[in-house]
Amino acid sequence: MSKQTPDTDVAFIAALAELLNKNELTEIEVKREYGEDDSLSVRVVKQATVIAAAPAPVYAAAPAPAGAAPVAAAPAVAAPEDPSQHPGAVTSPMVGTIYLAPEPGAATFVTVGAKVAEGETLLIIEAMKTMNHIPATRSGIVKRILVEDGQPVEYGAPLMIIE
Amino acid sequence: MSADAPAGRVLLETVDSTNAEGFRRAPHLTGPLWILAREQSAGRGRRARPWASPPGNFYGTLVLRHTDPPARAALRSFAAALALRDAFAALTGLPQVFSLKWPNDVLLNGGKVAGILLEAQGPVLCIGIGVNLIGAPPVGAVEPGAVTPVSLLSETGLRITPEHFLDALAAAYAGWEARFAAEGFAPLRTAFLAHAARLGEPIRARTGNETREGLFETIDTDGNLILRMAAGPVAIPAAEVFF
Repeated sequence: MSKQTPDTDVAFIAALAELLNKNELTEIEVKREYGEDDSLSVRVVKQATVIAAAPAPVYAAAPAPAGAAPVAAAPAVAAPEDPSQHPGAVTSPMVGTIYLAPEPGAATFVTVGAKVAEGETLLIIEAMKTMNHIPATRSGIVKRILVEDGQPVEYGAPLMIIE
Repeated sequence: MSADAPAGRVLLETVDSTNAEGFRRAPHLTGPLWILAREQSAGRGRRARPWASPPGNFYGTLVLRHTDPPARAALRSFAAALALRDAFAALTGLPQVFSLKWPNDVLLNGGKVAGILLEAQGPVLCIGIGVNLIGAPPVGAVEPGAVTPVSLLSETGLRITPEHFLDALAAAYAGWEARFAAEGFAPLRTAFLAHAARLGEPIRARTGNETREGLFETIDTDGNLILRMAAGPVAIPAAEVFF
């Protein structure tokens, strides 16, 4: 907690905001040490710019599977939709080809709405004729399946969302 | 257990699939294990294609634990193919009749004499290998355009027992695993390219429903098939290759 007068703090923050605008920055974070147990931390973020400038994911975005819930209407604080940033995202540990079922024509390992246990196989990724079982990294409900059977994936691409 | 520790060995009269048995045994293993079965009741290949498994042919799985990221662990596909080729060469004295098809098929006089299927679940890797020692399925049993099945016996007149074959294969694989551990993928890549069929020639690579045609230019340092297409080279991590 700063012992400086509130006016000084406000002026400081205003100056940071001006700096942000002038230099076309999106975020400034400053910590001012006034003494022991006496500091001021300020983080100024230009939210609108962040959203507008959010880069498209580098991997090919998978079309949402049929029947998947549409993305909820943008709430007050709209976030750019990047499923790989979702806390429940399971991402690809490798480059390869996706198989959602153990064999062609068989039932898929999981479906949207299914309850999965940590470690349970969600899908297979093939590379170099090695079939890699990709496990659920947490227990929960499969909220979204972001890839299609037979689709190529890149490293880090979001595969499923589990909550 | 590390992947290049000495491997144990177990012989089963019959099993559903040696890979399935490998995953069942994996939690109890203290080192790599070769599982040899005289016959399989549910032998399978890539994408669960049935692999006919009558007695007399070779059905084996090496189950091992590793600490590699999945993409690196998958490079053992090449170690397995090279070991298989070495085993054939040592047992027949005819190295020139065996060639390799990306990523892990061993061809005998251009025919399919063996199949390798790797399955990975976390730190456990099962390298399943089937070899047509004395018999091969009829041509009509495989997909049109696929490499013609052949057996070691029909092509060379040599009759090798599964146990004898495992002696040669296990030794050869241990050698490649040790090189992979010590030197990485480079020596595997070099050896693979030295024995690769159709290098520089037109091939087709099918991934899912898409088939791409081009020249088999090389394999890259990650093991990808490099196909030279009209628009330029394409790196392919997973495909079924047709000649």
